[in-house]
Amino acid sequence: MGVIEHPPIFRLPGIPDHVTYTWVVMIVLAGLAFVASRNVALVPRGLQNFFEVVLEQFQSMIDDVIGPEGRRFLPLIATLGLFILASNLLSLIPGMTGPTTNLNTTAACALVVFFSYHYIGIRKQGALTYLKHFMGPVPLVLKPLMFVIEIISHLARPLSLTLRLFGNMVGGHILLAIIFFLMGLQGLIGWALSGSAVGAVVGGVGGLVMIVFTVGFLYPLKILVSFLQAFIFVMLTMLYISGAIEEAEHHGGEHAPAHH
Amino acid sequence: MRRSLILAGLAVLAVPGLALAADAPAGGGSLVGPYSVLVAGFAMAFAAGLCALGQGKAVASAVDAMARQPGAAARIQTAMIIGLALIESLAIYVLVVAMILLFVQPIK
Repeated sequence: MGVIEHPPIFRLPGIPDHVTYTWVVMIVLAGLAFVASRNVALVPRGLQNFFEVVLEQFQSMIDDVIGPEGRRFLPLIATLGLFILASNLLSLIPGMTGPTTNLNTTAACALVVFFSYHYIGIRKQGALTYLKHFMGPVPLVLKPLMFVIEIISHLARPLSLTLRLFGNMVGGHILLAIIFFLMGLQGLIGWALSGSAVGAVVGGVGGLVMIVFTVGFLYPLKILVSFLQAFIFVMLTMLYISGAIEEAEHHGGEHAPAHH
Repeated sequence: MRRSLILAGLAVLAVPGLALAADAPAGGGSLVGPYSVLVAGFAMAFAAGLCALGQGKAVASAVDAMARQPGAAARIQTAMIIGLALIESLAIYVLVVAMILLFVQPIK
């Protein structure tokens, strides 16, 4: 990765990059929250209005997926969502690396989700009932097998959350780095500026095409992927939480009409 | 026709092995390194193709359902986006394995 790697603009000595930029994201989010919550007015305007819209979107998603009793999880879900969104968008700025391009940050978010939804399920139903629901609606002979399968699939969830977020971010970055390398001063543009006639024509036209492609297609695609991956992470968190809570409904014999 | 295609495909895959076998003793390492690069490329191609097939089916049935019931279009679109991201994540896992093979090079 030597030729396409580029270090970020500033580094704190002795602290890994992803931790430094996590602090940058934290400062940005805390600063925005502080500015938005000064002089809280009943009729919101400006930044407070914007953040109220954002939180209402989270609230409506929670109402759709978990139901009205999910409102207490809004802090967890909105924090995860806004942190991952801000980290993803930070990685798009040239000169900065995003925290989510490092496996440690995404694994941390996934582990938070994993322990949270188990804790929420156990606190709601008690440990034994919660574990009993791992065995599913199968006949008694198959229950141990079902338990093992459920444990494996529950362990696969934080793994898949980590790798999905990490892979999407890093894949986009490697693609962008290779495109920059191909069209930059060591590639097409360098060939165009090198003085040879063939270079000026082919390098100029090719470089221009690649610049338009990058600015017009790749960057919007990466912005879309940033939003989409944050949305998917939050949606899966909500689905896991709703799966942990709603087991209690099965006892009554009627399914709760939360998903329609 | 089909058997000759299969034999031709196997021959194409064997040629890099023959070429690398001539190189490897001078290079002083095992053959696993060059072959892992080959495998990374093929794995990513397979994953991308199959992921595209799966996502195409998902989008096709989502669009069918939206045409059948335009009132439910927003809900169907949400489910479609979630389904697409989950299918895509399988190709992303293959991408991560390919990156491990190419950049971390666990077995030289």
